[in-house]
Amino acid sequence: MEQVHLKVNEAPTPQQSLIAQAYLGAGLGLKAEHLDDILAMPVAEETGTGSRLWFEVHTENYFVPGGPRLNYLRSIRENYDLSFHGVGGSLGYDHQSMPEHIKQVKALINEFQPTLVSEHAVWSRAGGAYFADLMPLPRTQDALQSLVEGIDRYQSGIGRRILIENPSNYLDFTSEMDEPQFLVEAAQRSGCGLLIDINNLYISSKNTGIDAEKYLSQIPADLVGEIHIAGHDPDPELGQTLLIDSHAADIEMPVWALLEHALSLFGHRPVLVERDANIPPFAELMNERTTAQGYLDRCRSHTASTHTFQKEAR
Amino acid sequence: MALSPYIDAFADYLRTGDASGMSDFCINAEHIKRMSVYRNGFYKGCVDALAANFPMCEKLVGNDDFKRIARIYVDHYPPEKGTLVGYGQSFPDFLSDFIAALETQPVGAKLSPGLVDLARLDYVWLMSLMSADATQTLTAEKISWLVERSHDFTQAVVKLNASVALIPVNPDIFNQWIALKTNSSDVESSDKNVVEDIYKHSSESKQIDSTFSVATVMFWRVQGAVQARLLSAPEVSLMKALQGEGGTLEGAFDAALALEHDFDVSDIFSACLQNEILEIDMAKYNHNN
Repeated sequence: MEQVHLKVNEAPTPQQSLIAQAYLGAGLGLKAEHLDDILAMPVAEETGTGSRLWFEVHTENYFVPGGPRLNYLRSIRENYDLSFHGVGGSLGYDHQSMPEHIKQVKALINEFQPTLVSEHAVWSRAGGAYFADLMPLPRTQDALQSLVEGIDRYQSGIGRRILIENPSNYLDFTSEMDEPQFLVEAAQRSGCGLLIDINNLYISSKNTGIDAEKYLSQIPADLVGEIHIAGHDPDPELGQTLLIDSHAADIEMPVWALLEHALSLFGHRPVLVERDANIPPFAELMNERTTAQGYLDRCRSHTASTHTFQKEAR
Repeated sequence: MALSPYIDAFADYLRTGDASGMSDFCINAEHIKRMSVYRNGFYKGCVDALAANFPMCEKLVGNDDFKRIARIYVDHYPPEKGTLVGYGQSFPDFLSDFIAALETQPVGAKLSPGLVDLARLDYVWLMSLMSADATQTLTAEKISWLVERSHDFTQAVVKLNASVALIPVNPDIFNQWIALKTNSSDVESSDKNVVEDIYKHSSESKQIDSTFSVATVMFWRVQGAVQARLLSAPEVSLMKALQGEGGTLEGAFDAALALEHDFDVSDIFSACLQNEILEIDMAKYNHNN
């Protein structure tokens, strides 16, 4: 495929650091069911860097002209940092209908000034239809070029760098490179960063046999701006041979362990606990968030002691 | 490898369930059945969105039957925008055609035509909830300001705000919709209401059809909550005179009085102010806001 001229090369692209949000700790996906609990919760005093609670929303859920949905988000924004996580941008394919989509994302960003903005390294639109899920791209040069072009349009349209998330893989498609190569190349060509979803990686490793730790070792830490963790479920028919990214269950121990490993490689990064189905009471979700914060705190103290040791050794 | 053939084959699978076109792109042929995860995700997302956008329809029909109908709708009208917010604009019309098609079949389940109005009510409620916030609400203070400056406020052009919607429906169906929404069984409705007749046989459904009448329901949003009520004929005329670009209050009052000469315009005007449904461009009067 012919190389396309990227907008990133013709205009100054926002160059804010991808890992500048060191003050953010573990965050939660914002659920309508929890709004009253969150608004009733006392806003915590700043207890130190790297522990601040934040909330992530699916950007497209706020594509509304007005009404209470936006008002609730405004009330959350008064006290918390937000992350806008797009699920419908279809960065990988069908960029013709992107301008209207991006316009709406941009309007929301202008109003809410989210700390983090992310999307997925997938496609979801083709032939005039929106398939309302995260469809995998083949890891080919042609697909990579299309993804880079999509990211470029998105970033230029909203005037910010974004993070793109690794997909959950259920089977292998024709490919010319492995996923870390594909994502890192996309990031380096477009100037975006990466959102590493640990649950997606765990699922992919079980479903397709890749080595999750080797995968993480191929990701440059300075590209990683956010981490996701979530629960998964076995396929109703195929059982444990096919794990589904359901976001409907508690986070399992192997995913926590992989998170710990990722933090040891990347250092402190904002970690999001995702839950989109079988929503538990807010207090229960906060318990998982506390666990995630614990991993972050250990990562930070380990990093601090390593730095002290290195200084003393000099 | 070019991307387009892969996407075309994938999209074809998502739309039809025929995965044969994907065989060239799947490394392990035994895993091709796993493609169903993506198709299930697509349908689940769309069907769940329809259930969320048409909650009273789902309540009435039942979750399983609603899912079956919704899947057929997704087959015919997949979403086009990169969001499911507001998905299902054509669902009421689809239901109308779907119900009519069921009628032509000699055997099998039938659906009451009343379901179409129920779907319309669900969707208009949703649109009112998500409509743009009013920024130029006409208030008693603004009227006082106009009067104090010798403006005849009845000549002021006002319009209904974006949350206001007028919808013609069968009043029984509206009562039924309210009952479903409030989980109430004491809302008045005819004994031929839609709930009882879902999945009834053809002859009984036709009996319901013959009883249908039409009234106008107005939806509006105030303080973040959507309200709805049946309008009288003069109220309909008044509201219609203020739709779109709007009109003078005098014109709207006259439209109502033309239908009922002793209609109390002050009553409804007060209600309009209390419910914050009227907008006025005060910049015309050099007013600050």
